[in-house]
Amino acid sequence: MITCGLDLGSGVVKGALIEDGRKILNTASRPTRGNPSSAGQQVLEDLAEAENLVPGDLAYLCTTGFGRYMFPNRQLQVSDITSSAKGASFLRPGTRHVLDIGAQSSRAIRISPTGKVLKFKMNEKCAAGAGRFVERCSKYLQVPMEDMSARALSAQKPKLISSVCAVLAETEIINNVAEEVPLPDILMGVYLSLAQRAYSLMRYVGIESEITLVGGLVHSEAMVRAVRDTVHMGVNAQSEGHYAAAIGAALLGHQRAVRLSGPAGVGN
Amino acid sequence: MMKAAAGIDIGSTTAKCVILRDGELLGKSLNPVGVNIVRDAEEALRLALVDARLDRSEVAFVTGTGYGRFKIAFGQLTVTEISCHARGAHFLFPRTRLVIDIGGQDTKAIRVNERGEVADFAMNDKCAAGTGRFLDVCAGALGYDVAEIGPLSLEARHPVKVTSTCTVFAESEVTSHVSRGKDPKDILAGLHASIANRSLSLLQRVGIEPEVTFTGGVSRNEGMVRALSGRLHMPINVSPLSQYMGAIGAALAGADRLRGGTAS
Repeated sequence: MITCGLDLGSGVVKGALIEDGRKILNTASRPTRGNPSSAGQQVLEDLAEAENLVPGDLAYLCTTGFGRYMFPNRQLQVSDITSSAKGASFLRPGTRHVLDIGAQSSRAIRISPTGKVLKFKMNEKCAAGAGRFVERCSKYLQVPMEDMSARALSAQKPKLISSVCAVLAETEIINNVAEEVPLPDILMGVYLSLAQRAYSLMRYVGIESEITLVGGLVHSEAMVRAVRDTVHMGVNAQSEGHYAAAIGAALLGHQRAVRLSGPAGVGN
Repeated sequence: MMKAAAGIDIGSTTAKCVILRDGELLGKSLNPVGVNIVRDAEEALRLALVDARLDRSEVAFVTGTGYGRFKIAFGQLTVTEISCHARGAHFLFPRTRLVIDIGGQDTKAIRVNERGEVADFAMNDKCAAGTGRFLDVCAGALGYDVAEIGPLSLEARHPVKVTSTCTVFAESEVTSHVSRGKDPKDILAGLHASIANRSLSLLQRVGIEPEVTFTGGVSRNEGMVRALSGRLHMPINVSPLSQYMGAIGAALAGADRLRGGTAS
């Protein structure tokens, strides 16, 4: 049985195809560009084409992310907290702490060994602490997004940012540029500031051991290092982490499909 | 004759200076603040002296206030901007009991007693939402200069609700409203309402009591005056000098010292 999870995020729509709730068949993504449902449709078509699916092959489609209600052809929608937790637990079996940093929000989740959410804390009100902060810095420091992480990693003495607000930090960063603080030090300061914000979310839910990082910033080595240096514990980061919520949604879709097709009287 | 006292308010975006003698305003100045705050402060005093047609020697006392007050090299006294805004507002509007000061980078709610002293205050200097910076950023997203947006917001017919608190998110929200064909005037009205809401929660923390005096750079914005007064359901005092309120309060504190009294 093939199920699909679509994570309709504010920056990027991610999709994952899962076979029998066990194996990742494929993943795909497209920038949201203000239209989650059309980006979602494209991701779905990309996946269908890559796996040669014909209508009827897909047993269940589950959406998640901020745009989960905006995709009409879905059978189920789950919150991004639930799906992230489930996906992280699949990618890193046994993990108990998930940190998800997306384009527009971030969340820390403490989960059970089976990937159930025990406690979470989310920041969706403020751009500081989300990927948007890095994007803005990339813009006004004129460093392409794809170079931000690599440049930051060569920092000698990271310049910490005292402002909490992404907009007020801008002034501070421009002052740092005027004072000729080396660019890598400024950039690493940006990642450390994000990690600091994430850390306060993590402390709220309680962290004891390792953390699994998921979400759009998982590809950024500088982000991983900043989190590791801030929390002083192991940080699991793997590139599929970007798709954690989509994978989680596909798995939850599979669970639901199995339950629905189960023996009469047992299902809901 | 009594000597004059100068007050210099070094804010995040502008430096303001006023010169007072016997409670009379002799001169004032306003200039932008750049990287060299020490020089900008000197320039503010120089311009105010020119405006007052006074010689430097006629100013017996210089008081600094504002976030850059410690960089004023030549002053005799520094006073917090909170005390100065309270004092300045009380000077211009003696029945003031609550001051709302919206500046370029922070917002303060100050409850004052009948003598113009600070009874309580609450401040937001951590987040750009609810400050002049929010208006700057959002005006920019709409392609307007911040000076134009107040009057335009007053022409709104169907104000748009801006739901994002964060300035960064509000900026995107503005862009998406534009792409959906909303009238910029309606969006501007929503942005002003958003700041009024943020201010209200700050004001509630210290207690709302008439009269309310609106100070700081954003008080020059008519749209903001209207939005705030509507949200509070009461008229609010605004003076053409409201941007100079901090500097006036500083000069008054200096004048106290000249009289041999105690400065606040």
